[in-house]
Amino acid sequence: MTPLDPGMNIALDDGFTLKDILRDSLESTYVDDAYYARLRGDLDEWQAIGTPLTEAERQRYEALILHEHWLLDRRAFERWYQLYTRQCLYWVPAAGDMPDAVRGDPQRQVTIAFDDRRRMGDRIVWLRTGVASSQLPPSYTSHLSAGFVRIATAADGEVKIRSQFIVHEMRAGHVVQTLTGWMGHVLREEDGRLKIDRKLVALLDAARSQHNMTFLL
Amino acid sequence: MSHPPELPLDALVQEHRVHRSLYTDEAIFADEMNRVFGGTWTFLAHESELPAPHSFVRRKLGLRPVIVSRDRDGALHVLLNRCTHRGATVCRQDEGTARRFTCPYHNWSFDSAGALVGVPIEEGYGPGFDKAALGLGKARVASYRGFIFATLNAEMPDLVTHLGPAAQLIDEWLDRWPGATLKLQRGTHRMICLGNWKLVYDNSADGYHPGFSHMSLLRMRKDRYGAGVDMQWTIGNVDHGLQTVADVGNGHTFIDQRAEIKRYWEQAAPMPGETRYEQAIRAKLGAKADTALDVVMGSGMNLNIFPNLLIIGNQIQVIEPQRVDLTHLTWYATALEAPDLPDEVNALRMRLQEDFPSFGEPDDLANFEECQAGLSIPEMEWVLTNRHLGTGKEYIGPKGMLTGPVTDDLPLRAFWREWKRLMTSTTRLAAA
Ligand code: FES
Ligand SMILES: [Fe+2]
Repeated sequence: MTPLDPGMNIALDDGFTLKDILRDSLESTYVDDAYYARLRGDLDEWQAIGTPLTEAERQRYEALILHEHWLLDRRAFERWYQLYTRQCLYWVPAAGDMPDAVRGDPQRQVTIAFDDRRRMGDRIVWLRTGVASSQLPPSYTSHLSAGFVRIATAADGEVKIRSQFIVHEMRAGHVVQTLTGWMGHVLREEDGRLKIDRKLVALLDAARSQHNMTFLL
Repeated sequence: MSHPPELPLDALVQEHRVHRSLYTDEAIFADEMNRVFGGTWTFLAHESELPAPHSFVRRKLGLRPVIVSRDRDGALHVLLNRCTHRGATVCRQDEGTARRFTCPYHNWSFDSAGALVGVPIEEGYGPGFDKAALGLGKARVASYRGFIFATLNAEMPDLVTHLGPAAQLIDEWLDRWPGATLKLQRGTHRMICLGNWKLVYDNSADGYHPGFSHMSLLRMRKDRYGAGVDMQWTIGNVDHGLQTVADVGNGHTFIDQRAEIKRYWEQAAPMPGETRYEQAIRAKLGAKADTALDVVMGSGMNLNIFPNLLIIGNQIQVIEPQRVDLTHLTWYATALEAPDLPDEVNALRMRLQEDFPSFGEPDDLANFEECQAGLSIPEMEWVLTNRHLGTGKEYIGPKGMLTGPVTDDLPLRAFWREWKRLMTSTTRLAAA
């Protein structure tokens, strides 16, 4: 392990490759009623007024989120995957820009993406097959985030950070797409490192028609 | 009617090939939006989207804005969303509940059955003014097991006659858990395709493409899970497999994969929540659990109701043409609700219904867009529809349907025959 910066507590396993993902998390064991209940609770909590981050919080939390986006924009999906906990979630609701616990309830609604760790791995392996017509040529993204605030949470050991984003997506030969909205990152420590436990991407136009959403936000 | 001046429609739609202009010509597009959509029974909505009196959804019949509503007694109506005063749309919301649709322009108001019930300063029209003659235009409406269709063609036979064997196939699709009702309003995947709408319908009964077009999904599954998961039956020479295609009549088409699926649950795609919910369902249902788990997985049926409704797996896809080269494809998620079916089944169904929209359909849409790009070349005129046309492999199969091997272009030929019939029909379409 080579911590990127011990002070930031962001670490990467340099040797972690697609092969490791192929064998990682081949079962989906942790999504159940209690897990969905926690996600509905998240949707309630995200509505609250946030507090702008202190300098120390920026160094620790904002830095991790910016690094996450940087890895996605570099298409470093294997390293991106390592930023997440073992019981993680990457979630893009299909409803509204402020999905509530009813309209946004993933237990009862389909989503644009609801990736537990296994499906997150599937998505990376799928992107890496190199034979997906929807990713030939591949998408390149550029994340721009601002407005980082901390949201109070009742959950012990969790930190909730909300931010506003604009993502530009470019595939050679196609028009550049602009996606915007807000993100919620739930961070917690695992194995002595700060990781992303749950990421919610609330698109402004999630309920409208979308063109080729096969890239990661 | 207008199409490329050099060729009449009979020359454009041949048994063994069709002309590129059918996918690229704006005049043909404008014509088919009026003659095909609305010229036959055309799918608009599902009854579960209209749960109560005065519920409505806003839809399009071709390009015509329409409202599908229930009146105060719960009866269904398809109202043309066009004020009889000066033409403005009277309903501007996608869905909701409304006793009245009040036109924002001069506030004429119409009840949920379309009758004109309010005109401001009505005396200005003089004494002979007849509100009863100025209700919203209406289409004929009928529903079969919750699927609501409309037509502007007074000569169309009743819906069940028109559906023919498709009605029985809908029964088979719905009755996998006897007594269950189907619920939409479980979220939607709304996809944009920069291609003609018929490229989507063409593909819906194309049993030739999956092993090639869906290589990304098949390879991901194999690399990660080995054999035994879903869609493995699409690999190799599928004409030697157990899948079939059929001409259901009136442009409806069908791929039947059911014979390839031995154990539905075991052959399902991976889905989040699988382990815990399988345990919960087994604990609740005991011996009946296997059947409940099977209805999590898609039906193994692709039933395509001409011209715009694709019942595939557990989802309902609706083709919504926008322009000659732009189509919206809306995938409605479905849940099954029955007193003896635990809700855990639907928690899994939601996750499984995200699988193909994530890892399958985007590759199809990308190929349709590339078809549209290729079809722009004027010097290359023809699209082939002749696979298995002369191989002698077709036979009269179940329900009296002409049936063929799964890569047969039989469904394409069935589609184009119905399309041409409607495009050359002399029946005048009219609002009621
Ligand atoms: S156009 Fe509707 S009231 Fe005038
Ligand atoms: Fe396909």
